[in-house]
Amino acid sequence: MAFYPEPVARLIDAFQRLPGIGPKTAQRLTFFLLKRPAEEVRELSSALAAVKERIIYCTICFNVTDQDPCRICADPTRDAGVLCVVEEPNDLLAMERTGEFKGRYHVLLGALSPLDGIGPDDLKVRELLLRLEDGPAREVILATNPNVEGEATALYLAKLLRPLGVRVTRIARGLPVGGDLEYADQVTLTKALEGRREIG
Amino acid sequence: MQIGCLVLRDFRNYQTLSYRPTGRLNVLTGRNAQGKTNLLEGLGVLLTGRSFRTSRLADLPSWGAEATMLGGDLIHTEGTRTVRRTIQRLEDGTWQSAGDLCPWARAIVFGWQDLAILNGPPAARRGFIDGFAARLFPGHLPALLRYRQILARRNRLLQAAGAEGRLAPWDEQLAATGMELIDRRRRAVAALSTELARVYPALAGERHKVAVAYRTSLGEATEPAALLAALERRRAEEARRRLTLVGPHRDDLAIELNGTDTRTFGSRGEQRLLALALRMAEVLPVTEAAGTAPVLLLDDALSELDSVVGGNVLREIHSAEQVFLTSPEPLAVNGAARWIVESGEVSAA
Repeated sequence: MAFYPEPVARLIDAFQRLPGIGPKTAQRLTFFLLKRPAEEVRELSSALAAVKERIIYCTICFNVTDQDPCRICADPTRDAGVLCVVEEPNDLLAMERTGEFKGRYHVLLGALSPLDGIGPDDLKVRELLLRLEDGPAREVILATNPNVEGEATALYLAKLLRPLGVRVTRIARGLPVGGDLEYADQVTLTKALEGRREIG
Repeated sequence: MQIGCLVLRDFRNYQTLSYRPTGRLNVLTGRNAQGKTNLLEGLGVLLTGRSFRTSRLADLPSWGAEATMLGGDLIHTEGTRTVRRTIQRLEDGTWQSAGDLCPWARAIVFGWQDLAILNGPPAARRGFIDGFAARLFPGHLPALLRYRQILARRNRLLQAAGAEGRLAPWDEQLAATGMELIDRRRRAVAALSTELARVYPALAGERHKVAVAYRTSLGEATEPAALLAALERRRAEEARRRLTLVGPHRDDLAIELNGTDTRTFGSRGEQRLLALALRMAEVLPVTEAAGTAPVLLLDDALSELDSVVGGNVLREIHSAEQVFLTSPEPLAVNGAARWIVESGEVSAA
């Protein structure tokens, strides 16, 4: 890449560090931006800067926010008695999109991951315990991902929270709505069967 | 089931190939390094999405090619399904395999590497029984991959200082998934030994007593709690050796011929025949599980066998729905379709 002018090479290099972007896409993005009006590019660069300068973590639930406490923690209509524990702010957004959950959240900012050296002290676990001491909840819903890290995190938290006398639940795993039983993989089907409920 | 046709592009030494097998038994002959095993491998990838020779996707495309494409028709009594698969190099340099998987398609492969089931390390026998269990139970492979992930993370914790207090959530998952694997392996072994007791004497042409047993340090236990308790008992030793010392990744199979462990016994011909018999014993249980017979891919299965035994093998595979058998020398087999493989091309003999 030695033949690119320095600013071009620098931008290509910066794009390449983003997840899922290889050298070709980085080049394409760079030359795309070169062709756009200066105004538009300036808007992008200020948006990039603002995300780092203006966004903070909510000191109660650790969601990303531009005000502290965040809008959900500050909302008096949300039930403080039910706490949904998720790994990342993205997961919180996914839950919010359902519009079904009226409780509050706690974002761990990660999951237990020995391969990355991430233990309980690196997650917002202590903060969760302090929060439950301050204002006891009726129920804690563990909504970590259904992979091995998320499962370990849920098992760890369940053991930790049980002595507090709070009801601890784990979100169900199973079939996607609108799907066809015939096309479901066996593992999902087995989990769906394990998590079956009475009807009627 | 049968393979109706196979199309390859830039796969190993095949630039382009369009191959339409005709018989139930297809004998592929050709000199060394002409592409016989590559053709079997291509048929295997079409059926199962995976190569039986390598886990490295980069090995499959022709030298210098950025992608390889496989396609073909799979014929079932209820209809034909067209499947395609593309293996390509992504921008970030990794290789990706994407394509259709047919839920009833199964391949049973025999090759020289199967001798390791008898004389190789325990890992070879675990690989064999896991492959068979995966053909019987679709949930086995995902559980195995999950188990490996859990194990890697638990071992990493054991290697870190002072992490013992953090093992609990990994122990629990290891025990649950580990027992799930052991249970399916035991059922696979039970199905295998019944068939092997019939198949091996039929191939050998004499009466023999063959037995396969699953060996685990957990004895007859079936509950995850037993694995959990075993982890607890070995805790100190695990901390010292920094490794997970109990679980399905430490188990083994015992394969005995006339009461003698085959690791220390048997001529090379006998070992080859027993390895082939293990694969042939898979056929009936897999047929029952998948609802249709698997395709047999037999790489040089008759070498090192005497002509009488070779004849028995041919008689046994004649009842299969579709067989591909490679051989360096032409074979005289009644009713077989004969093909010549030469420098990446296949023609009728």
